[in-house]
Amino acid sequence: MSAAGRLRYLFGVHIAGRAALRFERLRSEHKMRSRESWRHRHLERPLDVSPRLKELISRHYLTGRYANGARKVAWVTSGAPIEVLTALNIFPIYPENHGAVCGIRRTAEEYCKHAEAAGYSRDLCSYARTDIGSILSGKTPVGRLPRPDVLICCTNICQTVLYWYQVLAHHFGVPLVIIDTPFLYREAPSHAVAFVKNQIEDSIPVLERIAGRSLSHGRLRDVTRMSRDACELWLRIVESGRMKPSPITAFDQFIHLAPIVEMRGHRYTVDYYASMLRELNTRVGRGMGALKDERKRLLWDNLPIWFRVRWLGDLLAERGVSLVASTYTNAWAELADMIDPERPLDSCASVYLHPILNRGTGHKLETMKRMIDYYEVDGVLLHSDRSCKPYSIGQLPQRESLSSEAGVPALLIEADHNDPRSFSEEQVRNRLDAFLEVLGV
Amino acid sequence: MIAAALPILYPRELLRSFGVLPVELWGPPGTKTAIADRWLQAYTCSIIRGGLAFLAGGGQDHADIILVPHGCDSLQGLGSVLLDFPVLSKPALSFYHPRTRSRASVDYLEAEIESLAEELQKITGREATDALEATIREEEADSVLAKLLAGRLQVALSCRDYYRLVRCREYLPAEQFTALARPWLSSESGPSSAMPVLLSGVVPEPSGLLDALNEAGAVVVADDTIACGRRLTPEGRDQSAYRRMAERMASAPPCPTRGASVEERSRHLLDLAKRSGAKAVVFAVVKFCEPELFQLPLLKTALERAGLRTTILEVDVTEPLPQQLKTRMEALLETMS
Repeated sequence: MSAAGRLRYLFGVHIAGRAALRFERLRSEHKMRSRESWRHRHLERPLDVSPRLKELISRHYLTGRYANGARKVAWVTSGAPIEVLTALNIFPIYPENHGAVCGIRRTAEEYCKHAEAAGYSRDLCSYARTDIGSILSGKTPVGRLPRPDVLICCTNICQTVLYWYQVLAHHFGVPLVIIDTPFLYREAPSHAVAFVKNQIEDSIPVLERIAGRSLSHGRLRDVTRMSRDACELWLRIVESGRMKPSPITAFDQFIHLAPIVEMRGHRYTVDYYASMLRELNTRVGRGMGALKDERKRLLWDNLPIWFRVRWLGDLLAERGVSLVASTYTNAWAELADMIDPERPLDSCASVYLHPILNRGTGHKLETMKRMIDYYEVDGVLLHSDRSCKPYSIGQLPQRESLSSEAGVPALLIEADHNDPRSFSEEQVRNRLDAFLEVLGV
Repeated sequence: MIAAALPILYPRELLRSFGVLPVELWGPPGTKTAIADRWLQAYTCSIIRGGLAFLAGGGQDHADIILVPHGCDSLQGLGSVLLDFPVLSKPALSFYHPRTRSRASVDYLEAEIESLAEELQKITGREATDALEATIREEEADSVLAKLLAGRLQVALSCRDYYRLVRCREYLPAEQFTALARPWLSSESGPSSAMPVLLSGVVPEPSGLLDALNEAGAVVVADDTIACGRRLTPEGRDQSAYRRMAERMASAPPCPTRGASVEERSRHLLDLAKRSGAKAVVFAVVKFCEPELFQLPLLKTALERAGLRTTILEVDVTEPLPQQLKTRMEALLETMS
């Protein structure tokens, strides 16, 4: 790490960057306060904390932009055990989240085409193609991504990340740390927990060498505590969808999810979610829903269709349909009580083995049934995501069971989380229209 | 008892020690996959859709157990669906092979083998017998298979017939395979003028692919397919049967389904090409197979840099080989002749 790099980092992130982002946030907050009337016909005004979210995300990518030369950087999968990294002050970049940003900003298709021109099949995950295409083309909507010093790949979300990160390791010529989490068809066997813990322990000396410092177990405990606190707050936030009307939709959750994925283990993330929860509680107290007229409530399964989040949100809102919960955003909440700061490595092994995507199709069905009851939904939208087989395979028998056992109608929507070429707007609209008719809206 | 086994990361010897014969399902070719539409999306590969369609369409009547090892996200999904939903009437089992190679992985693998043994005990109602002997019999069969694959040009068979022999390993008891294949090791054939190629990818299917290779003037001299070359596991050393099975599985040739890197695979392919004299590499890749598809661009570059020609044939194992792919193979070989 160079003195010049540190100076650039200090100035770019902590002085100029922070001031500029703070100014931008204050400007947005002022604009939101001074706005006389929110003009959307069906949606209530956005949450007041939204400018803070934008500031947090922008600061994260700004930090990344200046990180090389000042801090060590790890590119990590969304389900990776981040607490050790954070305790070692290694800065994490999440290619999946970057992929989602590219999807929302509508640049993913261009990057996918770059990857395909380099020989990567269109049948591969569109996050991976977006990321690889972004690297090969040097383009990104976030300014610049820092070069990684290490890659951390945890297979608890899919096997795809393993092949994807092997490509990254080849490209960047940096170490790849794999945390292999055996898939749980049933309850976790003790040998699987031991295997994961062993790998996490083995990764520590590697990461210490890269970070140039030793892991402080006190610091790891503090980071783990803040991860748990953030996850608990996030749980209460997603559970506020239980209220009628719901003060938040799954579309809001998709956007406000970024800090719990990218910034777990930090005080500012805990503070942010505490503010968000306060605001949601205030809205509940006033009987204010995310929709002006909530008539029906739905559950969402799978990743969002990032390039059509707004389109789908508007389409449902104009029919008075609120997407009050999603299995996807629930995934970062449901394991909160497994996180134990006093046993950080043991609980880490257990927590990172148990995400919904690392568990069987029957477990997901039971989760959906519980959510149907808890959130009192009228139906389920299952996004059959061409790019996410672990999430999608199983949805066909799940749909049958939801109808026959849980007694709620479920619609399968064929799409892709990031590649618009695998999405037919007309087809989805027609199927949704028919489904909403069945629901009586 | 018969176990219908989907590909491929499972210990054959363990099943044999419980008196169960694993018969592998790679498609099978010609299966009408529409019946699988009820449970699997269209973007699941033809091996998995074909396997399920075959079983649900009556194939399960010939099996007592369905074994779905975890080799990729799609196999994971199929295994999970079979365990959690009443799709088939026969009991399903799963098996997870770790994606890393370390002492901890071998420990995990040994424990996973023990877990599978407990499941097999429940289903068969018997204890494992002669597990070490069963392992040694599988080792002998693998040794014969390795020699058969290394000495392809000594075997005077067409590619189709040669693979018919090689792929008996997928369903014959080890001792029968050894007895059937061993005589071919001492056979001799005259010099071949055919273009030597290395076949990589998933499985040598559809079999029209092998005919097309022969017709185009090529012969497969080395194999790196998941179904054949990558199943070869060396002899173990440990005298504890389960530990030995785990050591063997962990020492198989590099394969992305077990977490092998691009570098390991390119080294292995270059070594295979050098030893066999192959001049080109044909990748027979099943559509939607992520483990294979991800590494192809980098492997292709590494092989071509070393002077090998390559071509990628994306196939559906339940359908005949399309004319377009035959033409692509012919074009590759024409440019080399």
